[in-house]
Amino acid sequence: MSELTLLILQLAFLALLWVFIFIVVYAMRSDLFGQRVRKLREAPAGGQPSHNGAAQGGSAQQTAQPQSPAAPPPPAPKVPTFVPAPGTELSGPPRATTSNASRLVITSGPKSGSEISLGSEPLTIGRSSDSSVVIRDDYTSTHHARLMIWGDEWVIQDLDSTNGTFLDGNRVTAPVHIPLNTPIRIGATSFELRR
Amino acid sequence: MTGVSAPVAVETPTKGVRRIRVPQKLRNLELFLIILVCSVNAFAVVLVQFGALGYADSTVVYLGAGLSILVFGMHIALRFVATNADPFILPIAALLNGIGIAMIYRIDIAEELTGWESTAVRQVVWTAVAVAISIAVILVIRNHRVLQRYTYIAMLVAAVLLLLPMLPGIGQEINGARVWIHVGSFSFQPGEVAKIALAVFFAGYLVSRRDSLSMVGTKFLGMRFPRARDLGPILVLWALSMSVIIFQRDLGTALLYFGLFVVMIYVATGRASWVVLGVGLFLAGGVLAGQVLTYVNDRFTNWFDAFNPANYEAVGGSYQLVQGLFGLASGGMIGTGLGQGRPDITPLAQSDYIIASLGEELGLAGMFAVLALYLLFIARGFRISFAGQDDFGRLLGVGLSFTVALQCFIVIGGVTRVIPLTGLTTPFMAAGGSSLVANWIIVALLLRLSDTVRNQPRLVI
Repeated sequence: MSELTLLILQLAFLALLWVFIFIVVYAMRSDLFGQRVRKLREAPAGGQPSHNGAAQGGSAQQTAQPQSPAAPPPPAPKVPTFVPAPGTELSGPPRATTSNASRLVITSGPKSGSEISLGSEPLTIGRSSDSSVVIRDDYTSTHHARLMIWGDEWVIQDLDSTNGTFLDGNRVTAPVHIPLNTPIRIGATSFELRR
Repeated sequence: MTGVSAPVAVETPTKGVRRIRVPQKLRNLELFLIILVCSVNAFAVVLVQFGALGYADSTVVYLGAGLSILVFGMHIALRFVATNADPFILPIAALLNGIGIAMIYRIDIAEELTGWESTAVRQVVWTAVAVAISIAVILVIRNHRVLQRYTYIAMLVAAVLLLLPMLPGIGQEINGARVWIHVGSFSFQPGEVAKIALAVFFAGYLVSRRDSLSMVGTKFLGMRFPRARDLGPILVLWALSMSVIIFQRDLGTALLYFGLFVVMIYVATGRASWVVLGVGLFLAGGVLAGQVLTYVNDRFTNWFDAFNPANYEAVGGSYQLVQGLFGLASGGMIGTGLGQGRPDITPLAQSDYIIASLGEELGLAGMFAVLALYLLFIARGFRISFAGQDDFGRLLGVGLSFTVALQCFIVIGGVTRVIPLTGLTTPFMAAGGSSLVANWIIVALLLRLSDTVRNQPRLVI
């Protein structure tokens, strides 16, 4: 073995080591740059602010309650509207619990009508492919919101998403209990917890 | 009865949600990476032989093939019981392990050890045991939440494992540290496995207690500090790690346990005050130990004043540290070449100082490659925990990956003279069975966690 051969082999070995590292990094690039955004064909006139587009979708669904579609205007998030959990309990439908809610139904958006069965385990919602409900549109954050179980009641928490999570039209700022059959809107998608 | 299925068909048509299942895609990526890893590992052993012996001999077959077969076995097990597990963890662990074996084999050649005397052969056997245990873990534990039931049993197991080396019959003192047990010709470092039991215990404990640890407290200097009565756990852990320093004379292990606890409580509560408290407590304890205990004091002196001839020539002085640094320096950018340096001059070149040996023969480029592999492994662990749905799994994932991170920092930081040198093993690489077993169990648990994360009911919009 000449010195030169050994040197070349050594360089080849180091190169191979780094090639492996870059293959791994390339394969996990979605971790670094986030999931690819998919344009929705159904989305109302591309480039429109998310609030308007989604408010239309939401109001179409909310037939039961005469709720004004005055979703918080863009500067509003500085003064978040807090939803007191006891209030919803008094007037609205009963809170969703693990015993009375059995499915999550998509009520508006591109996959309207599809559903997922709820177990007794928390769910995550977001654009990342490891979420339980993957919503790949422009309005959804990588890790957008999660449904948790407190005691045996379903609670929704917004994970500091850019465009917000709206429970019955109100932006979720702190974890709130979810009433049954009440729309939760994320971007252009709304869903409800049902029996 | 022919119309058995009739009532079923009437059920809601939306019942069958389309679930995206892409199981083999991940496993095929893993298979590709494993094949690449096996060729890199074989290449490393061949290079060692060319460099140190000048020819290739059949040992390549035994060293390379043994590890490869086991890793393929694990891959096949994953295809059956954890199809959605993360595809990167296994190849990265196998590559680190393989580079470690090649380096240990290189030191063996220099010290002319063969057969059962050879550390590399023993390392391959230990790798076999470790991967077999890892496969068993992934086969037995089908759901990581089972571990939450054994929260307090895990605490007990950790305590017993920690105390075992103190027993007079089987405990053994090597190089001043009393962290070994010795049965027959078989020695083991139970503290390595104890870190997994501790991670399970901390995760289970913090999930149930974190509200009282995070909600209440008084505000001071812009941080919310916990109440005095909530300080119990951190003080107990502090006392435990201090007793490890005093009685087992092992600084690194103490730092590992205490750091693990502080990070897990920080992740569970999200309050920086725990980190401030923890670091403050440990620094206070360390400085106090440096005043009282001579071996701790020696470590500090060797660290501050490594190149002083008095320290360099003293027994238990900075000779090893300085030789390691000289080795790294002679390696330069691309190293002396595998098998062509003199890493064996440094004491313990195959275990504590394996990173210095690698730095000498692979150079800065190779050392950074190894560090990048650790970084990817740990980042994967954090990623898995971040994506997890249940709090126990998330905390466990953070704890397990952080032990690997902290261990790397303590060892590599010690060797490169960033922090005082303490004896811990470099995960997956250093010669030593207990460390391999513990880290391969961590691999199995992380794979199991990642499979659970991807295996939930899913709806893609």
